[in-house]
Amino acid sequence: MAGIWIYSEDIILAKELVTPAKELAKQAGQKVGAIALDAEGAKELAALGVTKVIVLQSSSSWVEAYEQAVADVLQDEGADIVLIGGTVRGKYTAAKAAARLDAGLLTDAVKVMLENNKLIAERFVYGGLAVTTEELSFPAFVTIPPRSYEIMTAESEQGEVIVKEVTAEPGITVVDAIKTQQQGVDISKADRVIGIGRGVEKLEDLTMIQALADAAGAEVGCTRPICEELKWMPIDRYIGISGQVIKGSLYIAVGTSGQIQHVAGIRDSKVIVAINTNEKEPIFAASDYGIVGDYADIVPALTEALQNAKA
Amino acid sequence: MQNILVCYKWILNEQEIKIDPNTLSLDTSRAKKRISEYDKNAIELATQIVEAQGGSSIAISYGGADVKQSLKDALARGPERAIWVNDPNSDKADAYVTANALAAAVRQAGGYTMILCADTSADASNQQVPLRLAVLLGIPAITCVIKLDVEGEKVIATRRVGDTTEKISVEGPAVYTVLPEIAQPRFPTVKQVLAAGRKPQLELKVDDLGLESEKLTPKRTLREIKGYTMSRKNIVYKEGTPAEIAAQLVNNLIKEGVI
Repeated sequence: MAGIWIYSEDIILAKELVTPAKELAKQAGQKVGAIALDAEGAKELAALGVTKVIVLQSSSSWVEAYEQAVADVLQDEGADIVLIGGTVRGKYTAAKAAARLDAGLLTDAVKVMLENNKLIAERFVYGGLAVTTEELSFPAFVTIPPRSYEIMTAESEQGEVIVKEVTAEPGITVVDAIKTQQQGVDISKADRVIGIGRGVEKLEDLTMIQALADAAGAEVGCTRPICEELKWMPIDRYIGISGQVIKGSLYIAVGTSGQIQHVAGIRDSKVIVAINTNEKEPIFAASDYGIVGDYADIVPALTEALQNAKA
Repeated sequence: MQNILVCYKWILNEQEIKIDPNTLSLDTSRAKKRISEYDKNAIELATQIVEAQGGSSIAISYGGADVKQSLKDALARGPERAIWVNDPNSDKADAYVTANALAAAVRQAGGYTMILCADTSADASNQQVPLRLAVLLGIPAITCVIKLDVEGEKVIATRRVGDTTEKISVEGPAVYTVLPEIAQPRFPTVKQVLAAGRKPQLELKVDDLGLESEKLTPKRTLREIKGYTMSRKNIVYKEGTPAEIAAQLVNNLIKEGVI
């Protein structure tokens, strides 16, 4: 079955991809297929109206080991367009599958369109400084970041699920896989986030920042130097183009200059607030509301104002 | 004994690129080229492994004639020699073409124990070349490596994958893509820079790689590139006490429906 194919090892992300896939399929007069790694997830995709869902089963628990099997299915089905969820494992699979199919691949597409039998996508380059419009002939592979689309649960014709036994031998051995014991929060899913940058002068001020976060019902993230150089926060709190990308309602930037790579991670926030002593910093141009002032004065005042608003 | 190939890219310094606020066109006239930041971490790792295990590393790159200017910097960071592919059409190249050219260059390098790359480039951030390279060479690939423990032929690669830390055991040659935190790049000493000038450099003209023209024809066409702008309200509070400003801001945030 040619048409538009979806793959993600993360079923929620796979369901999100059904939305753009159906759009493209409608335009192309084609159907949507999907590849899944578990039968339960496959049923959910079929229920969303994916015509054919192929479940790959093997003894391997390493997601990356399935890349060859994924490529084989796409090759056999004659897929025209392939949308793959842009997780670390998804990008791995996409690049290898595209290589096996001699196909082009556009990474982290923020918009996908069809035009004259070509797949067009927009994506960020130069650390978020610029946007490109890029074009591929078929077969065209694209990776799409999580939470780029809403899951649409419309009335759909139930698709079929086919289970396929495959060999998945990656030539390596997984020794172990441990969930990192951080503060247990995925800030990329948070609706409100406070981000700190180099303008925050001392580690002790994190208490003040946490108080603001509590008052705002927010999580705390940071810019790269805070994690890598100062090591004040673990790397999974880094907000930026190669870190966490947040897409919530509110982002408050405390002591961040507004470097492109950081702004690329906050650009989809509904409202951006900046607190910085230097009015000329690029973060102000990237904000809806900017406060020119010392965070040591502003943050406690803001915390109190938020607490009063809740009371 | 290690025989490491480490790939790097010679790119425009994005900090020096200007965006015209009216047309959003890019002005790269003042932008100089440099080795992509994250590639320096990979080169540093290669040098550290060689220092610990013995052997040597080779720096590999693909690009236009100006890649020649990068060799001294790359070689000053530890590699014993450099091999680079000169392609007059590299400006139009995509990951498909780059990987094909690098694979051909790798085959000319002789044997290798591992190939190191950054996980992403600072300009195009396609995150594809190392994986395509692994497929072309028929060897495994491990991405997002934050630690590499090398014991002769056996390597344990520690990866950061989302909220999971994964340890992978690999025997035999493989491609590893590394995250910046894996190794802080050293500042080459004057002695190292001078020595770099004397290290062997091999230039391969892209036409001499023995590749069919299809392999050098990009799959991707760049239609347009323009500066990114966000239109935000840009309301700025400068006057008033912190309490007054805070009260105004909270009022606005309530009106926006975000608190």
